[in-house]
Amino acid sequence: MIIERLLLLLLFLIGLYGIIGKKHIIRKIFGLNIINTAVVLLFILEGSRIGEAAPIADASHRAMVDPIPQALMLTAIVIGVCITALSLALAVHLYRVTGSFDIDEIRIRIHHES
Amino acid sequence: MNHEDLVFATVMLPLLGAAFALFGKLTKRSTLTSWWNGVGSFVGLALPWVPLILLAPVVLQGQSIEGVVGNWYEQIGVAYTYDGLAWLIQILGYTIGGAAWIYALGGGPKGNTFTAIFLIQTGALAATILTTDIFNLFVCLEVLGITSYVLIPTSKKPGASLASFSYLMVSATAMVLFLLGTYALYRITGSLAYDQIAQGLIGLDGHQHIVSLMALVLIVSAIAIRVAVMPLYGWLPDAHALAPHAVSAVLSGVLIKTPLFALTRVLHVFPSGSEVGSLISIAGALTAVIAVIIALSQEDVKQLLAYHSISQIGYITAAWGAAISIGTTDTTGVALMVGAYLHALFHALFKGLLFLSVGTTVDVCGNRNVYTLRRGAKALRSAGERFPITIITCIIGALAISAIAPLNGSVSKQIITSAMKGSVHYYLLSAAAVGTIASFIKLLRIFFGGSSEGEEIRIRVRHLRSRWIAQTILALLCILTGICAPQVVSYTARILFPQASSAMLFTYSFSADLMVKTGITVALGVLVYLMMHLRVVKHLLTLIRTRYRDFTGLFVSFSLATAVLALFLIL
Repeated sequence: MIIERLLLLLLFLIGLYGIIGKKHIIRKIFGLNIINTAVVLLFILEGSRIGEAAPIADASHRAMVDPIPQALMLTAIVIGVCITALSLALAVHLYRVTGSFDIDEIRIRIHHES
Repeated sequence: MNHEDLVFATVMLPLLGAAFALFGKLTKRSTLTSWWNGVGSFVGLALPWVPLILLAPVVLQGQSIEGVVGNWYEQIGVAYTYDGLAWLIQILGYTIGGAAWIYALGGGPKGNTFTAIFLIQTGALAATILTTDIFNLFVCLEVLGITSYVLIPTSKKPGASLASFSYLMVSATAMVLFLLGTYALYRITGSLAYDQIAQGLIGLDGHQHIVSLMALVLIVSAIAIRVAVMPLYGWLPDAHALAPHAVSAVLSGVLIKTPLFALTRVLHVFPSGSEVGSLISIAGALTAVIAVIIALSQEDVKQLLAYHSISQIGYITAAWGAAISIGTTDTTGVALMVGAYLHALFHALFKGLLFLSVGTTVDVCGNRNVYTLRRGAKALRSAGERFPITIITCIIGALAISAIAPLNGSVSKQIITSAMKGSVHYYLLSAAAVGTIASFIKLLRIFFGGSSEGEEIRIRVRHLRSRWIAQTILALLCILTGICAPQVVSYTARILFPQASSAMLFTYSFSADLMVKTGITVALGVLVYLMMHLRVVKHLLTLIRTRYRDFTGLFVSFSLATAVLALFLIL
């Protein structure tokens, strides 16, 4: 239990490092994906411990796994995909305009143009 | 139609309109495409007024409509509450949305895709304020975010794409933390609906209490980024300044306020919500002053307006936070909350108006620098404006934001400052008012003066008429809400606080005292404006303008703000 949580924390921190530490904007987007995945995994992992059986409502009254965390995470994953697609589109546009993927370089070139 | 259907109509009609607008892209005939665009816009922005008007008597009687979407079980379904607050915020959203859409007909962006995304954003705004389910709030905030990341770069400026990207990264990261907070709440209380969370939070032991505080911190700081209160404002100036004018008006007018008022419902759930309110109140008062100083240093006209949006949101959060912290059970609390809402509404009207009229001027002149842009009046006349609508509406907006009676800005600022009299906030907000006046004297000079030498840049701007209509509507609303202030104030108070006794509901009237105070503020404002021409002050302002700002700074300030909030709550 504690090991899994620590691993997820590690995953989260790797993602955060990608967002803040890396200059390359595509790597920043990877970082965003990684922290998103870390939280989704945490939800799924912890959610699966509430109850035992597969969440299919039938006549037998077994202790079902709580279906809500999984339903929520489906939504969160869809939103994550939207954000990734949009940020990649913005990255491509920035590359076309400035010819660079480096966030500082992009800022300098845009500043010079205007 | 029962009330539940009317409530859903306010959210669903814009989404239906968006579907119509997108449907128009299927056909290749351009007349049909624009016909669908028109139908979609009508369904999405005009028709929602029907349910809003039909719901008016309900909220005036103080009833609130509560339920679960689709009549699901309470444990599984998405809970919502439609009360006076939701109604008032929706009125704000649809007014500014409609005016901005009319302006976009002339000033762009145009096309079915723009209409569709704009309408989805409007629908999400309507939903954000009526949800009482923490995960649904997450979804609504994400939809608001995604639509703004799309709308900001539609101005086709490279800087706008960078601004949008920076906003996306910091906001999406904060929303992941929001999700983590949601998880913690679900784990502790086993529910996502506000009222059940509130029950679950009663009587927690030490460890769980700390976890619930952390959840509150993560949720509040993610929302604070959207509201752009100091020090989380870094993304806003570029995004609001480089977006198309119509989008800037909606972003500044509606999008930064709706999450704040949605947070009202969240904070009522937590026992320590009032402490968060007091911290946000101080941050808001500081924001009001600091942002106005940065605004004074700006060269770009729209950057200047964007910093004023931060400053005015500082006013709103200062009053709102104080109302949350002292509770709305006495006259001061009621006055602060009413003042916060009214300032949000009035700011949406006059800042929307300023963004639109200044936008028209910079489009006509082809120059955005507040120091070199002069003779805007002449440029507008030669662009075909026989009656100086743009100048008059811009002056009305400037007077309103400077709190000159009888325009609307003076009403809300008066309510807020008189309720805060004697506190530190009062002096900070008064200082911000002086700076605002100096800043708008500087801004209004773009229309007049300047030498006749130098090349006359004239840019042909087509479809000025729809811009005029949008500006006139907002200017008339600024005047009307200012003149009818006593009625507006008393109705707002009744709608927001239906249970309050009539003794607690204050009345607002114009007074000689107000006039004296306005006079002193204006005189000080002129003094500050004159002082800005001193060499030392000029040098200082240049230093402020060219201060170092970068992408990492957004995250550093976010982490700092989160840490401060966490420490404040635990200690």
